[in-house]
Amino acid sequence: MILTRLATAWALFQGLLIEALPFLLIGVLISAGARWFAPGGRWLRRLPSHPLLGPLTGAALGFALPACECGNVPVARRMLSGGAPLGAGLGFLFAAPVLNPIVIASTWAAFPDQPWLLLARPIGAVVVAVGLALLLGLVGEPQLLQADLLAERRLHQPLAAVGLLERSSGLVGAPPPSALSPEAAPVRPPLAELMKHASQEFLYLALLLVMGSVIAALVQSFVPRSWLLAVGGAPTLSILALMLLALVVSVCSSVDAFLALSFAAQVTPGALLAFLLLGPVIDLKLVSLLGLLFRPRGLVLTTAGAALMVLLIGQWVNLWRL
Amino acid sequence: MTPPLLQRAALWRAASLGLWALVMLYSSVDGRLDLLLRAVFHPLVALAGLLLLLVALLQLRLAFGPGRQERGDRRQARTLLLTAAIALLVLLLPPAPSFADLAGQRPRDETAESELSFVLPPAQRSLTDWVRLLRSQPDPKLFAGDPVRISGFVLPMEGEPPQLARLLVRCCLADASPVGLPVHWPAGQAPFPADQWLAIDGVMGLRPAPGGGGERLEVVPSRIRPIPRPARPLEP
Repeated sequence: MILTRLATAWALFQGLLIEALPFLLIGVLISAGARWFAPGGRWLRRLPSHPLLGPLTGAALGFALPACECGNVPVARRMLSGGAPLGAGLGFLFAAPVLNPIVIASTWAAFPDQPWLLLARPIGAVVVAVGLALLLGLVGEPQLLQADLLAERRLHQPLAAVGLLERSSGLVGAPPPSALSPEAAPVRPPLAELMKHASQEFLYLALLLVMGSVIAALVQSFVPRSWLLAVGGAPTLSILALMLLALVVSVCSSVDAFLALSFAAQVTPGALLAFLLLGPVIDLKLVSLLGLLFRPRGLVLTTAGAALMVLLIGQWVNLWRL
Repeated sequence: MTPPLLQRAALWRAASLGLWALVMLYSSVDGRLDLLLRAVFHPLVALAGLLLLLVALLQLRLAFGPGRQERGDRRQARTLLLTAAIALLVLLLPPAPSFADLAGQRPRDETAESELSFVLPPAQRSLTDWVRLLRSQPDPKLFAGDPVRISGFVLPMEGEPPQLARLLVRCCLADASPVGLPVHWPAGQAPFPADQWLAIDGVMGLRPAPGGGGERLEVVPSRIRPIPRPARPLEP
């Protein structure tokens, strides 16, 4: 019995992994492409740093870079390490998995008879992304971002943008005019260097993806899903249950709408939207990947903040639609 | 002092990437993807395998290029070894899921009928077509006596005889949800084990529903044949 279950978990693991690896590769190649076409990433630092405009611009970039959440992590890491404003990077990380043409098309294909969902999903994703960017912005970058990402990021930020206590070099006092634009002419990295970096990044992310997929496959095999769907009709419980399901199932945002279709009839509309909003932001498979960007405190805040906002949005939708 | 094996980091990267490329490409040809993913994603996996192979070859060229003795650090070496080991494990241990076990844990698929299969004559309807049709037409009398030719696996049910079932998959095995048809198993026949694939010819018949809830349609088999698991066991 236990062997049968383990064999099933092994198959689930392979399914999750093989489905996500192409998207991870796309993300890594986009990130490498950005390094090649815009060396130094000056455009990244021109993104708005306004607390509201920043995340909104980041979110809108999802339309230009269609990848789902696994592929978004390397791209968001590239943005942050290149010195993009924190809000813009986080807005992209959290909203782009929903705000891209593929995901919107698949949501429409799955729910052609529910036009409200087609509007509510992108709007909800933007609200959650802006909220998370504001929340994580309160923490301060040194406490939020992983040390190596932070070090890379500081290299690309003008010295004046870094707090005095965080500087490891430079002069105290008014910066000389040249310090405001530290890089005179960014050098395009040689192709060999670019491929080496991309290969390392892909292999490291693949390892994290393996860990996430193992956890997701084990939880899925040993926790009956009917437990989660048993509370389908209760307004609040159904939202919580479907949020848990989104965490556990860990499928890509480009296909989760089709999965939601299979139980849409059994759950409240708020719970359905909660499933479609939370999965792209955080799930078991993503936790280890996001660990590449955030320190544990950032991960906990992301999970708690996203869960709270999605719960509130779900409740509000249930009040409106039920 | 770096151990000599680590001195060609590019070679290790090439090997590791090559193994992952092999995983993707080999999965695309050995029928494994039919068991794991919906068909739409198969070309994507093959393409990713080809791209990975290309990157691996570039790394190989780098490893043996002139004057490129790149030394890796220990952490990098650990990542490379570990990913290579996992890729090997995935290659050597093909998936062998128990569909009945998976289906037993999942809620039934509740998708409404798509219009297409209405035009199919009864004997050409698949198990999935039948389940969706019966769900959209609540009056079972409409279909009593219709010929049935279906295949599926044996799914044990709680408190009633096993059903013949299929798994519907929208993305990968992780989101599989089962659909099943009740079967009126011939009296005196030894029960088939869970997961056994069967092809059944017969007719739809009205039988009293278990639990006394009126009548329901069951497949009344005239011929039951055990078959091997089909090459494409998942249905969209």
